[in-house]
Amino acid sequence: MTSPYQILGVSEQSADAEIKLAYLQKVKDYPPDHDQQRFQQIQQAYEAIKDNDSRLQTALFNLPTVEFNDLFNLAFKQQSRLQPISADNFLKLLKAVPIEKSLLTAFLPTGS
Amino acid sequence: MKKTAPKSSAGKPEYSLEQNALDQFATAHYKEATDLYKDLLKRSDNPFYRQQLAQCYLQRALAMSTKSMPKEAVVLWENYAEWAKPPLAAIDSYIVWLLASKNPKKAYARLEQLTAQQLDENFLELATWLGFLLLSGHQEIAGHLPQDSALIRHFGLAQEALKAYQNHNLTGMDDALKQLPFRSAFRDLRSLLKTQLTDAVSMEQTQTLLSKIPQHSPYRPVADALLAYTQDGLAFVETALKLDHNQRRIIAQAKGLSNLQTELLDNLSSHKDRQTDKLRFNLAIQYQALFGTAAAQSFCQATLADYPAGRKDYLKNFAQNDIFENNRIQALLCEQNRNGYDAIFFWRQCIKILSAKSPEHNQKIALILRHMSAIVPSDEAIELIIESLDYDAKNRNSYLKILVFYDQEQPDTAEYERWLALGMQHFPKDIELLARAAKSASDKKAFKKAATYAQELLNIDPVNSLAKQLLFNSHLAHTRKLIKTKKFHLVDKEIHSAEQIMVDKNLRRLTDLLRGFSVWANENPKQGLQLIGDALQKLNDDPINIQFQAILEAALLNAPLASITKSLPPIKNHLLSTAQLARLINLIKQYNEQISESQILFDALEKIKAPLKKSLQKQDYSEDLLLDWCRVLETIGHFELLKHTAKLAQAKWQKPIWLYFLVYAENLGNPTQLGIKTLFKLEDAIEEAREEHDHKTVMLISRFINSHYQNPFDFDDEYHDDKDEELNIFNELFGHLPDSVAQRIAQKIQTMTKKNSPEQFVSNSIQKYHHRVDQKKLIKLFNNPEFLSAIAFFSVADDLQIDVGVSFEDIIDRFENNSPQLSFPFF
Repeated sequence: MTSPYQILGVSEQSADAEIKLAYLQKVKDYPPDHDQQRFQQIQQAYEAIKDNDSRLQTALFNLPTVEFNDLFNLAFKQQSRLQPISADNFLKLLKAVPIEKSLLTAFLPTGS
Repeated sequence: MKKTAPKSSAGKPEYSLEQNALDQFATAHYKEATDLYKDLLKRSDNPFYRQQLAQCYLQRALAMSTKSMPKEAVVLWENYAEWAKPPLAAIDSYIVWLLASKNPKKAYARLEQLTAQQLDENFLELATWLGFLLLSGHQEIAGHLPQDSALIRHFGLAQEALKAYQNHNLTGMDDALKQLPFRSAFRDLRSLLKTQLTDAVSMEQTQTLLSKIPQHSPYRPVADALLAYTQDGLAFVETALKLDHNQRRIIAQAKGLSNLQTELLDNLSSHKDRQTDKLRFNLAIQYQALFGTAAAQSFCQATLADYPAGRKDYLKNFAQNDIFENNRIQALLCEQNRNGYDAIFFWRQCIKILSAKSPEHNQKIALILRHMSAIVPSDEAIELIIESLDYDAKNRNSYLKILVFYDQEQPDTAEYERWLALGMQHFPKDIELLARAAKSASDKKAFKKAATYAQELLNIDPVNSLAKQLLFNSHLAHTRKLIKTKKFHLVDKEIHSAEQIMVDKNLRRLTDLLRGFSVWANENPKQGLQLIGDALQKLNDDPINIQFQAILEAALLNAPLASITKSLPPIKNHLLSTAQLARLINLIKQYNEQISESQILFDALEKIKAPLKKSLQKQDYSEDLLLDWCRVLETIGHFELLKHTAKLAQAKWQKPIWLYFLVYAENLGNPTQLGIKTLFKLEDAIEEAREEHDHKTVMLISRFINSHYQNPFDFDDEYHDDKDEELNIFNELFGHLPDSVAQRIAQKIQTMTKKNSPEQFVSNSIQKYHHRVDQKKLIKLFNNPEFLSAIAFFSVADDLQIDVGVSFEDIIDRFENNSPQLSFPFF
């Protein structure tokens, strides 16, 4: 869930000119022939907040939508850099493999 | 498919049984083939039958293993071993099935029969599994394996590597791993441990290393768990949900996930195959602490469209203290559920709240009203748009929408003019508004005004074709005036001005025609006639259009017609071609825009009526062309020709539009007298047009029928409604007239209103009567619409030479002094 302000990298208090400048810079950074999807996102963001009327309309009539899968990006965001898994946990993982189940599903006969 | 093998084959010859068995075997019907070969073996101990029976058992055992039925696979393989000759196939599989079906004793017995070479070279995959079992805590297996095997040696190296890993000795681990050859049973373990050799986990590196582990490797679940460990967000969830519960717990712990996060994963895992909207909605609410309230709310809002039953829970969980915000969200949710009625209610609540802080929030109110206009029917929408202008008068689009509404959807000249004037006040330089103003002035034959707007428009938009045409027409009208008033010395200059305007070439040739008339009227009639003839020939390529245009121009210039037309080619036997009829249509349109008296057009059409009717009867015009022709006749109100054409077309095409034109013409454009049968016919025609997706015709007929029920001047109501005092005045003045007379007058008024707007009528009336009553008083009285109706009625009756028994002064007195009527000539 990214707001038009976030997409253009401006604050909600920014003036029209500042927003336009940020929009033009973004278009320069992400031209349509490089990343069409990103460009469209920038374009839509600008249309949504380009002037007072647009900003008011966005604020009044916009219900930000979030997909179910997007929620997981928020719930399981890695906060710090990961270190390799510990040996204990590695061994635990080895031992946690359900043997019978694995033997059934993973091993398919090849010598027949 | 039903299998066809017989259960009992007693009495059947051996040859046919054997063939049947072969067929079943060849088509992989091993169960049936087993029965047949067993039967055959009872008859004769044939080695081929034994071999076939053994193969049947083996194939069935393999089939059972793929169905995750190791016990059954074990039994069938043992049957196979009973009938087959050594060496036996799939011993490695048999051992795995034994282990999978928790029968280690038999498995170990078989393992003990294997040589080191067999295990290391022939059964590498079995060795990989056995190696994995040794590492995962089943070290007792080692005692049943050939001790000189590579598997046992490599197991020692693997243990050494793991020990080094446990001691945080990554170099030692690496050294041990390096000793494992490529074809080692612990190859996949090496790949797994290598992912741990880097200081910090890199997603890309890990993924590359882990991808080397085959899907059927026993180490795959560990590889998946390690991958999940390196991931976050959605990718982590997707991988984690593929893991076994215990593995997921280990990873969750290793990643330091909270209890709530682990619980969410378990919850998702238990519902991963059946996630309904309701479940997702409830999960979003239940775990909003993890998702963030805003995101959970947004997700739930969107889900309400598919899961409206969640509305109550939504409000319970996300309702805010801000009443405005609550109403706003309710309104938007209603819109999502296509519930416009309730959406309007909540928006009205929003407006109410904002109004308390007006004018600070006027802009918001205006925006909400405009937004509401998109979810209501068009007539209500226009009311909302008009209301929005009370809060934000400077919204160009609103004016344009209102103008389009009063121009096309619900034509109302007075309202159109009013809103056009208001729009022009706020946006005097707007191209679209200027164009509308110019066109409107031109329609009202206010050419000077139209020219002013057109000039203004051209200053802003130098290529605007409408403006150029209007300006050109204005110069032509002025030229005609100059010729009529014999100011010939100014004609050339005016014509020159017209010629400077870049308009259609054919249209520009009109200046040659006017030049000819000027010469004819001023200097040299003979030369003038020649010029007129030449210009007409250039403008038209047929005698009918030549004649028609000559008549029109002569009438507009008050020139004697006979002297002009006598030199023109005869029209009697000419039939108009398709292009010539199209030209005639354009001529009518062109002159109708310039002529205030439609009688001039009617007179000109009268002169060419005979060959025109003959052309319509004899020529095979396209339906589109005839539609164009009828539309122009409808516009100018020439009902005779319209009826003639519609009749011919209706017979040929039988479409709703032709029925409409026929009825329209037969009723002289007046819907008030439509009979019930005709109304039914028109209703049917609407349905037919709707089925054919002919929306234009649907609209046209609907409007006509609606007018039948709504007499624009409401005469019927005025005669019968005693409640309204103003209407009683009208009744007092004209109520004595017989219905037939009143209707005749009303009909004429309707025709008149088509051509002239109420403003135009008022302006003409003031000019006509200002010497009889004080002009200011008259203007004031005209502000009363009932007075306007009364004067219209009186004026039209006068034109029709009907004595209504009421004088102009009587009407003034009645509206001014409330004095009663005097004479009643019809009684």
